[in-house]
Amino acid sequence: MAVSLMQGNEAIGWGALAAGCRFFAGYPITPSTEIAEMLSRELPKVGGTFIQMEDEIASMAAIIGASVGGLKAMTATSGPGFSLMQENLGYAAMTEVPCVIVNVQRLGPSTGRATAGSQGDVMQARWGTHGDHPIIAISPTSVRQSFDLTIKAFNLSEQYRTPVILLTEAIIGHMREPVDLPEFETLEVVERVVTSSPDEYVPFSNEMGDVPPLAGFGQGYRYHITGLFHDQMGFPTQRLDEINPWLERVNNKLNNHLDEIVMVEEDIQEDATVAIVAYGASARSARHALKVARSQGHRASMLTLLTIWPFPEVQVEKLGERVERVIVPEMNLGQLALEVERMVGRRKVVRVNRADGEMVTPQMILDAIEG
Amino acid sequence: MAEHILDAHELDVDEIRIPRENWFESSETLQKLRKNKKFPTIWCAGCGNGIVMGSLIRAIEHLGLSNDEVALVSGIGCAGRMPVYMDFNTLHTNHGRALAFATGLKIARPDMKVIAIMGDGDALAIGGNHFIHAARRNIGITSIVINNAIYGMTGGQYSPTTPIGKQATTAPYGNIEPSFPLCELAIAAGATYVARSTVYHVLELDKYIEAAIRKDGFSLVEAVSYCHTTYGRLNKFGTAPEMMRDLKKNSISKAAYEKLSAKRQAGNSKIVRGVLHVNDEREEFTKLCRKLTEQAQGGGRQ
Amino acid sequence: MADAISVIQPPTVEIAPRQKKPRGEVIVFGNWCKGCGLCVEFCPTGVLALDEADHPVVVKPENCTGCHWCDTHCPDMAIVVRRIE
Repeated sequence: MAVSLMQGNEAIGWGALAAGCRFFAGYPITPSTEIAEMLSRELPKVGGTFIQMEDEIASMAAIIGASVGGLKAMTATSGPGFSLMQENLGYAAMTEVPCVIVNVQRLGPSTGRATAGSQGDVMQARWGTHGDHPIIAISPTSVRQSFDLTIKAFNLSEQYRTPVILLTEAIIGHMREPVDLPEFETLEVVERVVTSSPDEYVPFSNEMGDVPPLAGFGQGYRYHITGLFHDQMGFPTQRLDEINPWLERVNNKLNNHLDEIVMVEEDIQEDATVAIVAYGASARSARHALKVARSQGHRASMLTLLTIWPFPEVQVEKLGERVERVIVPEMNLGQLALEVERMVGRRKVVRVNRADGEMVTPQMILDAIEG
Repeated sequence: MAEHILDAHELDVDEIRIPRENWFESSETLQKLRKNKKFPTIWCAGCGNGIVMGSLIRAIEHLGLSNDEVALVSGIGCAGRMPVYMDFNTLHTNHGRALAFATGLKIARPDMKVIAIMGDGDALAIGGNHFIHAARRNIGITSIVINNAIYGMTGGQYSPTTPIGKQATTAPYGNIEPSFPLCELAIAAGATYVARSTVYHVLELDKYIEAAIRKDGFSLVEAVSYCHTTYGRLNKFGTAPEMMRDLKKNSISKAAYEKLSAKRQAGNSKIVRGVLHVNDEREEFTKLCRKLTEQAQGGGRQ
Repeated sequence: MADAISVIQPPTVEIAPRQKKPRGEVIVFGNWCKGCGLCVEFCPTGVLALDEADHPVVVKPENCTGCHWCDTHCPDMAIVVRRIE
């Protein structure tokens, strides 16, 4: 396609369409509404359906229902809506129904500053819903990456039968950058495939590897889905010999495939003594600070986390072993820093935090590098 | 015959038991039960939920629907445990959210018959917002609300349909909240088929559920039931048979009700059974969605 | 199969059958029955009675008119009524 000046939110919409999303249910909320507006215009053109539900709880429920019906489905929201979606997000994790949730973060808590960016929902993305559950959260650092990671979110959700959260924020969501989107046909898109016949189908099998295939409703597979703990056929169970194998499989189905799920970008200088670990909008400031620092003769490395959850433990730990200090800039009062500290040791981490809605500036990071 | 109390078979066929096929072919009610699910159900002895399940199965049988084209969506509560027992596409969702899940499913599969099964609290308290919006949209979902005027699963708390003054575990001084007239609520919100009956008048339920499924739009069947385990015990209404008898005594057909004088109608406290509302003009929501996609794909005005 | 040989049947005489009362056969399935008592309470012709374990038993099978009250109201589908001619 031709180069165009595109907004981050709009790029997310195109990414969804490119990934084969044919159902969007959402509710207006700054700063994510442009995604809904764009898809309300574009989805019908490709035979898809847009619906504005009565609230975010309903939006999250509707995309799970549509996914069970066989469509790739997405919703988009921001902090307040993301909080409302938590129970149903947990339902999607429990029932292993693929779906994508875009959280264009804004300064919270509560109403906060609707048009101001934030990275304050990082821990909520991991632990927002109750109970132990697997989750994938990925974060773009540019408009083009917003497009690419939306497709990745759909592919991961289908591949691992899990909800995937695209964690972006008002800055990247609302800014515009020139992008030259690829032709959709050239993109690798994961589709659902069910091999077993209806009478052999075991919807939550523990014997078909980490992720049994998901058959859509109305295709002859007539099975049961419930948020209760369930056996391999989906029927409610209290039996530990049925619950534990499920726990084992579902809570490891991502850990067994980190090579495919964890995405990072490394900019390593061999003899660097300091490194930055950053994600999302803060990675943009960090990249600038890194350039300036190097021009001033500092030996510094940078690790950009595209996958936030599951946390990239191996990459961060390895980086930590090679430097004396790890700088973690975040638009919150220190959330992912806790994970970095866990991997490299608290003393090595220098937190650079800001939670007033403005970006962490390159200068703040530069000051930390000069330390 | 008395001594031939036959050992009921386990549904998962095993030789020493009586295989389902030879004994049950005469009863329509049993045809749609799930072969690989353990019976009997989890509901208390005498609970009206099982009666509604039988009625739903007979309605589906009479309509001649194939099992594949039926999807049951339920929320949380005693009523929510119904779909698992039947051989359809069954989705047991979160408390109050059946209609929101069902909306997504119906849009993805407009060709399927999507039936939501909810309790009174499930549909009208936590689920109230989705109830009125699903009706407002007139989306093709048949909703069956089993109204036993209490939260049974959690042990007997009052619900939006518990009568004023009645006892509940959270209304030890008597309930002070007025009830939702859910049928009028659905009509006002836009439902295009609304009917009410009781689990005593189960053949009426069969008829109304069948019509509701056949109706192209948002349809509501209120199945008035009872909970003798919590509500009945707390208010000394007696056993299941006694509460069943009360349903017979305290209900009146719509035809009889309409013959009453205005004054007696105003003073009426009996449950009015019948088809309360039908609207054949409004178009069903997923059909409007399809028109919209056709318009968009035809380069129509954005 | 040898082709059927046609046998001339004597004309059957149409006799109006006495308007026989419909009859039903009631089968109770113990495993599913929870002993709620609804069928016994509401059977219009007293076909059923509770045994010592509060489970219904067919005590007057001849009274059953096949009205199906019991099997349409049994919450556990533990009772089936079959019409018998």
